[in-house]
Amino acid sequence: MTMVIEARDLSKTYGDVQAVNHVNLMVEKGALFGLLGPNGSGKTTMIKMLTGQTRPTGGTATVLGVDAVLDPVGVRARVGIIPEQETPPSFLTAQEYLEFVAAVRKIPGIEAKADWWFEFLDFADKKHVLCKDLSRGTRQKLMFTQAFIHEPELALIDEPLINFDPIMQDLVKDYLVAYVKKGKTIFISTHILEVAEEICSGFAILHKGSLLHTGPVAELTARGEHLPSYFLSLVRKDRHV
Amino acid sequence: MFELFIAMVKEEWRVHSTMFGSLSFALFPFMIFGIAFMGAFLVPLMHTTLPAGNITLIIHANYLMLGIMVGGFGLLGNEVMNRRFGQASLLAYSARSLPLSEKFIFFNFVVKDTVYYFFLWVFPFGLGYILASPFIGVPLSSALLLLLTLALAFLFGLCAVFFLSTIYARSRPLLWAVLAALVIGWGGLAAITHTNPALFFLPLLLNSAFSWGNLVISCAVLVLLFAIAILLFNPESVGSEKIYRDSFAPLLKRFSFLPNPPLAAKDTLDLYRSGSMIGQTIFSFILPLAVIWFFLSLLGPFFPPHGLLFIFAITTGIIASTMYTWVTMFDSFGPYACLPVAVSTLISSKLTTFSILQVIPAVFIAIVAILSGEAVYLVPAVVLGISVSFYAVGVMAWLCGLSPNVLVYDVKVLFVYLILVGIVLTVFTSVAFANPYFALSAVLLAIPTWLLVRKAKIRWDAVDPAGF
Ligand SMILES: Nc1ncnc2c1ncn2[C@@H]1O[C@H](COP(=O)(O)OP(=O)(O)OP(=O)(O)O)[C@@H](O)[C@H]1O
Ligand SMILES: [Mg+2]
Repeated sequence: MTMVIEARDLSKTYGDVQAVNHVNLMVEKGALFGLLGPNGSGKTTMIKMLTGQTRPTGGTATVLGVDAVLDPVGVRARVGIIPEQETPPSFLTAQEYLEFVAAVRKIPGIEAKADWWFEFLDFADKKHVLCKDLSRGTRQKLMFTQAFIHEPELALIDEPLINFDPIMQDLVKDYLVAYVKKGKTIFISTHILEVAEEICSGFAILHKGSLLHTGPVAELTARGEHLPSYFLSLVRKDRHV
Repeated sequence: MFELFIAMVKEEWRVHSTMFGSLSFALFPFMIFGIAFMGAFLVPLMHTTLPAGNITLIIHANYLMLGIMVGGFGLLGNEVMNRRFGQASLLAYSARSLPLSEKFIFFNFVVKDTVYYFFLWVFPFGLGYILASPFIGVPLSSALLLLLTLALAFLFGLCAVFFLSTIYARSRPLLWAVLAALVIGWGGLAAITHTNPALFFLPLLLNSAFSWGNLVISCAVLVLLFAIAILLFNPESVGSEKIYRDSFAPLLKRFSFLPNPPLAAKDTLDLYRSGSMIGQTIFSFILPLAVIWFFLSLLGPFFPPHGLLFIFAITTGIIASTMYTWVTMFDSFGPYACLPVAVSTLISSKLTTFSILQVIPAVFIAIVAILSGEAVYLVPAVVLGISVSFYAVGVMAWLCGLSPNVLVYDVKVLFVYLILVGIVLTVFTSVAFANPYFALSAVLLAIPTWLLVRKAKIRWDAVDPAGF
C-alpha cells in the first residue's frame, strides 16, 4: 500500500502549550480519513503542519512523497486545502478568485471548470459578487471549489460540512465518497461523528495533542461498536487520567 | 462602559508585544524619551545656525505629521472596519455582537488610538525634554508648554485626518470642497494679514505666546472636528453585494510581463476596489507631504540654493517607501495559506506592486520641481527621491517582512532602520547640496537594495508567517 501521508513523531508547541504531541500517523492512498478530537485537541495544527502552513517543532511529515518541512510550497502545489477559517480575499469576486487560484496553480481552462462548480454547488448567481459580501455558506462553497478545482491527489479539509445546509451536506458527502473511489485521497477533520462513521474508511482520535487511536472504521463496526460512543468513552476515559 | 476602552488598549498592546516580545516593545517609549533627552542638548548648538523659532516649528510639524500618519493608518472608516478587522477577530469587530452601538465602538477605537499613540510617541518626547531642561537652561514652564503644544499638534493631525476621512467616506466632492476652502481660507488670511501662514497653526501660536483663550479655542476646534467625525461615521458600507464584471482575466494579461502576474493583479484590484488607492494617496502621501512642503518652504533661507528641492525629494522618497505598508497592511497571509505561494514570492509581488505605485512620488517630485521653478534639476531630484524610496523599502522588507507597520515598534528593528536609512540620508543630502547633478549617483543604492531584498526573502521564508 502506498502511503500518502506519513507523520512520524510529529510535535508542535506554542510557548508552553503542547498542541500536537509526538503523533505517528499513516494514511494510505484512496482513503477517506477522518481526524476526530475535542476542541483544542490539535486537529487544525495537524492539518497546518501536513500542508506546510506551519513548521513542526519536532518530527517529520511526508505528504505525497514531499517533505512538508523542507518543501512546504511543493506540498501545497500538489494538494488541495480548505483551511479552518475560510478566507477568500475580500475584494475579488467569486469568479475572479477562482481565476486567481487557477493562475497561481497554473490550471488551464478555468472558465469551463469554474462554471461546472458554480452549477454543481448551486451558486452561479453569486459569480460576480465580491467575496466579502458572500454569505458564510457561499464562501465555504468557494473554498471547497478552490480546493478541488485542480483535482488534487490529496485534499485536506478542516471541517468540510460546516456552514452547509442539509442539502449541500448531502451533496458534498457524496462528492467526497465518489472522489476517493477514483483512487484519490481525502483527509478531513470533523466533529460530526455520525458523518465520519458513515463516509470514512479510516479515522484517528486526537486528545490534548496526543493520538489515542488510529485504524479502519470497519474494524470498529466489525466489533459491533459505533464510532460516536467509542469516541466518547475513549476521550472521557483519557480526560480522567 | 470603560471596559471596552481598556480591553482595546490591552489588545493593541498585545498585538504589538506578541509580535516581538513585551520587553522590546516596552522599550519603545524609552527610546523616544532618550532621543528627546539627548536631542535637547543639541538645541543650544543648533541655535547657532537655526533660529529657535524654526526648531520648534520643525518639531511641531513633525508631530502634526505623526498625527496625520497615525490617523491615516488607522482611521479610514469603513475600509478599516472591513479590511483590517473583517477577518482577524479584533475587538473593534467582535464587539459588534455585544449590545453596543457601532458609533460607540468606533468612538472607543479612536480614543484608544489617540491615548495609545500619545503615550507611545508624544509623552516620552515631552518628558525627555522636560528632564533635560534644567541642564540646558530652559525654564521648566516652557518645557511643559512644549509638551502641551506638541500634544495639541499631534491631536490636530489626528483629528484633521479623522475628520477628513469620514467626509471622504461620505462624499468625495465634499472632501475636495472642504480642502479647497481650507487652502483658500488659510492662504487668504496669510495674504491679507501679511503674516507667515504657519503662525496660524494654533499649537505653534500657543507655543510662542501662551494664552488661556487660545488654549480654549484649540481644544474647541479639536472637539468639534472629533464630534463631527463621530457623527458622520457610517459603519454600513453602501450598496452591499455589488456586481462587478470580471476584471481579473484582462489584468492578468496586461501584467504578464511581471514576475507574478496573478498576485499583482489581485493587489491592484484590492487597492482599487477598497478605495485605498485614492484614500491612502490622499491621507498617507499627499497630505503629509503638503504639510512638510509648507513647513520646509518657511525654512528656505537656511538651505543652500536648490537644497530645498532635494531635501523635499528625499523626504518624499522616505514617505513613498511607506507605500509598502499600503499593500501589506490589510492583507494577511490567510488567503495564500492554501495555495502554493511562499512568503518570499509574496514579498516579491508586494514589492512589484510597490514599484508600480512609485509612479505617484515620481510625478509628485517632478511637479514640485517644476512649480518651484527648478525644472532643470527635475531628473536628479526624481532619481534621488525614487532611489531613496527603494532603498528604504529594501530595509523595511528585510527587517519586517510582510508586517512593516506593526514591526516598526520593535526598538531593535526601529534602531537598525534609523541607522541604515539615516546614513544614506546624510550622505545623499550632502552629495546633493554639493552639486545637484551628483544626486544622480543615488542610482548606486540599487546595489544595497537588491542585496537587502534578497536577504529579506531568505529570512522570511524561514519563519512561520504571522497571522496579522
Ligand atoms: N497560533 C497559535 N498560537 C498559540 N497557540 C495555539 C495557536 N494555534 C493553536 N494553538 C493552541 O493549540 C491547541 C490546539 O489547537 P487546534 O486549533 O489545533 O485545535 P483543534 O483540534 O483544531 O480545535 P477545534 O476543534 O476547536 O477547531 C490549542 O490549545 C490552541 O490553543
Ligand atoms: Mg480546528
